[in-house]
Amino acid sequence: MPKPPRSLVWAWIGLVLLLALTLGMAFVPLGSGNIVVALAVAAAKAAVVLLVFMELTRGHSLKLIFAGAGIFWLIIMFGLSFTDYTTRTGFPPAH
Amino acid sequence: MRQQADTAALGIWVFLATEVLFFSGMLLAYTVLRHAYPEGFAEAGRDTKIVIGSVNTAVLLTSSATMAWAVHTAKLGHRKLLTILLVATAALGLVFVGLKGLEYAQEYAERLVPGLDFSSDSPHAHAIELFYFLYFALTGIHAVHLSIGIVIVGIMAWRASRGAFGPAYYTPVEITGLYWHFVDLVWIFLYPLIYLNGRSGG
Repeated sequence: MPKPPRSLVWAWIGLVLLLALTLGMAFVPLGSGNIVVALAVAAAKAAVVLLVFMELTRGHSLKLIFAGAGIFWLIIMFGLSFTDYTTRTGFPPAH
Repeated sequence: MRQQADTAALGIWVFLATEVLFFSGMLLAYTVLRHAYPEGFAEAGRDTKIVIGSVNTAVLLTSSATMAWAVHTAKLGHRKLLTILLVATAALGLVFVGLKGLEYAQEYAERLVPGLDFSSDSPHAHAIELFYFLYFALTGIHAVHLSIGIVIVGIMAWRASRGAFGPAYYTPVEITGLYWHFVDLVWIFLYPLIYLNGRSGG
């Protein structure tokens, strides 16, 4: 039976190790640092999936632009929303 | 043929970019509410089923690896191995959905389903209910995406077993792979937001 390509095996090992890391780190009290670590590990996992499994940088360079467009609009949505929510008085409403 | 394949691949990337925005509306709601009710969200996150969530993350990451291997195999034209890998990918997807169902059943039994049967005597009950509302919306829509993926991967496995794909034509397998990896990517971000949230405190 043919073996899987090395790059895929390493990517899978890397992803499982990152999962173990983020799970372990979640129980270490870091205050607001916990979410930063958790999202950084998620971003690292996403990078492995995008680069190795989805071959984002191989083939047509237009797909980088298309993928980037999704992230670009996401940043606009979060950015503009937070200019509102972080400056609003009376949010959250009192019960 | 090369141009057709490129166009199809670009098409799925456009679709995936719109999917990013589809999910991120709910992620924005999560971010705003978590910012507004940090204690309630931490308390709700601590009670999520971390064992099922973590096992499911490993299952989905593995399914992405088998899917990527399937695409590689399709390019080489190994018909039998391609079929096996696609069936394995779909099977891992079914394991995920099965465990998710088990988790939902437990949450229903614990009266954590907003709108249906929610009850909490915590001082943060209101925020916890909001957390579970987003939890069911996000994971539910993710599960719908995954179920669609399982059906498509199943169809690809059936076509592969009949010899539909080879080195000259494997675009459908490649496109299916990109969709599958996207569903995995969504989960990669849902996992820390839902299951790891609030674990270090309380």
